[in-house]
Order: sequence, then C-alpha cells, then structure tokens
Amino acid sequence: MSFRKGLVYALCLAVLNLGSPMMAHAELVGTMQALEASTRTQDLATVSAALARDQVREQMTALGVDPAAVEARVARLTDTELRTLAERMDQMPAGGDALAVIGIVFVVLIILEVVGVIDIFKKT
Amino acid sequence: MRRVPRGGRRFPAVAATLLALLLAGCAGQSRLVDTTGPAGLPPKVELTATPFHPQSDQQCGPAALATVLGAAGRDVLPASLSQEIFLPGRQGTLQPEIVAAIRARGLLPYELEGDLTTLFAEVAAGRPVLVLQRQGFGPWPAWHYAVVVGYDATRDVVTLRSGTRERLQLRAAVFDATWARADRWAIVALAPGTLPARTDLTRYLRAAAGLEATRQYDEARAAYAAAVAQWPYEPLPRLGGANVEAALGHWREAEHGYAEVLRLAPGLAAAINNRAEALSRLGCRTLALRVLDDGAARLAPDEPLRVALSRTLAAIEASPALPAGSEPALCAQLQVR
Repeated sequence: MSFRKGLVYALCLAVLNLGSPMMAHAELVGTMQALEASTRTQDLATVSAALARDQVREQMTALGVDPAAVEARVARLTDTELRTLAERMDQMPAGGDALAVIGIVFVVLIILEVVGVIDIFKKT
Repeated sequence: MRRVPRGGRRFPAVAATLLALLLAGCAGQSRLVDTTGPAGLPPKVELTATPFHPQSDQQCGPAALATVLGAAGRDVLPASLSQEIFLPGRQGTLQPEIVAAIRARGLLPYELEGDLTTLFAEVAAGRPVLVLQRQGFGPWPAWHYAVVVGYDATRDVVTLRSGTRERLQLRAAVFDATWARADRWAIVALAPGTLPARTDLTRYLRAAAGLEATRQYDEARAAYAAAVAQWPYEPLPRLGGANVEAALGHWREAEHGYAEVLRLAPGLAAAINNRAEALSRLGCRTLALRVLDDGAARLAPDEPLRVALSRTLAAIEASPALPAGSEPALCAQLQVR
C-alpha cells in the first residue's frame, strides 16, 4: 500500500487545496445571499451549490438533455435555482401540452347527465 | 372577428358554472375580475403586436418563451429555445429554466405576485405575461405554458397566445382557476432599468440578484439603479449596486456604496462584511477591522451571516499589518461613519 496510497492522498490534498487561494481574501456576501439572509429564507441545511450543480448536471443528462448542452444550461442557473432543481427536478411541474378545456367541460356534463344531477341533453 | 369564449353559445352559463366549480373546487375561492375594470387600469387591452409561435408537440415552453422574448425585442425561434429549456425526460419545461433563459438574454425575469390585477397591470403596461396553468384533473394533470396578451373586463375574458391558438379567449374565472392550480406563476421579461407595473421590492431584487450572480454586471447595475430610485431608503438595492462595483474590482466605488448602505441600516451584516473587505482591498486594514468590530455589536442575535463575518475577520487579521501611519492616505478620508 504505502507509497502509492500515500501519493494518492498527497495528490488529493493538492487538488483540494487548489480551491482555496493562498493569500486568503475574505468572501463578499452576494446580494442574493444577503436577500435570503434578510428574509430568513436561507435554508441552512441545504446542500452546497457545488453539490447541487453536480446533481443537476447528472439529472439533466439522465432526463435526455443533449450532453453538449448540459453544461451551458447548468452554468446560467443561480445557486438558489440549482438547489431547487437538485431537490425537485423529477416532481416540479413540467409545462408541456395544452389540454383541451372544452373536453373537460363535456366530460363533466356527461357525467352529471348520467348521474342525473342535470338534464340538459334533450332526448328528443 | 369576434370569438365566443369556450363553453359555447348554447349553455354558456351552465358550462361556465360547472367549469368554475370543477376547477375552483380544487383551488379554493378564485378571484374574479372586477367587471367595472381592474383598479386604475383601462377596461380592455390587447397587445396585438405580440408575436405568435404556434407550439409543436410538448413545446409550449419554448413557444411561450419565444413569444415574450420576441415582445421584449429578442427575436428567437422556439426550435432553438428547445435546446435550452426542454427536458425530454419530463416531456416539458421547468420554471427555473425559463427564468434562466430570460436572464441569459440580458433581461430581468420578474416573477409577478399571483393575482389578476397585477397580471393585467403588466399587460396594460405593454408587456405580455408568460403564465403556467394546470389543466386536466385528478390523476391526469397537464401543465401548460401560455402567454397572456390581453384582457377585457367588460366581457370578463382573458386573451392568450396558447398552444396552436393565436387568440384563445377564456373567461377570467376559468383562466384564473387553471392558473391558481399552478400557484399563479407568472413572469415578465423586463429591460434592465425598467420597473414592473406593480413593484414588490423582494421579488424585484431577487431577479436583479440573479443577473449579478450570473455575472451580467451592466444589466444588474441598471436594475439596481432603478430600484435605488424607486426605494431610496431601502438598503438592499444600494447593497446590490455596491456589490456590482466590487465584482468589477471598483473597490473605491464599492466602499462608498457600502458606507451608504450602513448609514441606512447599520446592522446589515452583508454590508458590514463587504465594506470591511473593500477597505481591506484598498489597503485600509485598520479601518476594516474597526468596521467589523463596530458592526459586530449591531448584529441581530440570529444573524445567519455571522459565520461569513467571522471568516472575513480572520482573513483580514491574518493579512500583514502596515506600520502605523503608513496606510494609504485614502484611509484617513474613509472614516467609520
């Protein structure tokens, strides 16, 4: 194990460290975050934006989005939107087709007619 | 040509009542249009110049989006939008991707408060409104995007570009019932700098912050400036403006903005944090630490941004201190207010 495993750990650490710049500058609080904080809508337990991004990317691919388009679609979502999608992409309303409203009216009229609540279809 | 609202000539009253019962039954009390005309609005409006894109199979999202984008001066065909927003596995389009697509074109995606008067106010202001409706019933829901392009309070109808219908007229009660079942979701595409007809600060800022978060700084700046003009005593629009300057590395302007915010709201954690960071970037370490120290006493007990503030404090404390008196001359002018 020793050398190879050690090397792997060392490389992992090096990669992780890439994320944090040496000369530590504090992070600014973006307006979105300030807004969430001020309205107390920030859910402190939610997944990190990076994790949400990965999940959305995976789900989009699984739901048949052209892999070439996935990255661009993910890139333009805000952290809040990414979290919403990561949690609910399979249950959110997906607007697709119009249902003929007139159809519903007649179905209901027929049901009511058959049940005997109304009598508007004259039997002549 | 005059179209008869769906429901037909023969039993209009019966059909409308039943439909309203059927739909409203699931939605609770639906709000009807005041037949004397929505408050302060013209009794009837129709945006006849709105483009029409008949939808193909399952493509009401791209079609409706192309309609509002076209009306906002961004001509695009539904087929090309399909690549951006259609989700094949769901056979439809999700709301956040519509929001993102509007924003990606440099427009402000403003989600309206869900009531007919607000909706009609946008239409009266010349902007078609993209809406989500839930049709179908029981185990067969059908979610549908359409665009409201007009209303007529005298006849109690709403006019939509919907599916393959260029001018679908629905009774207001029927439209409202289908809309209510989709949580009355409605969105307009605003040119940055334009305010919606009926403004709601939080909704507006959320949309503007989306422009900032996706690095469309010119558009975000224009949106925040309009909000500052509208709500001069609210701190968050000014915070947004300062954040845009900070993101562009304009630390001097940003610091000035944060200082103004703190004059309006001395305990606003985001402004305390960001002002300290801006001061630190300007080389004014001493003043930055004083701002943090001063601000810490003013925070609300349940302030969710405490962690961010302590991280900022640690980062500034860790930065090398200059010998007393050798900080930039600018720092003397930027007193803690």
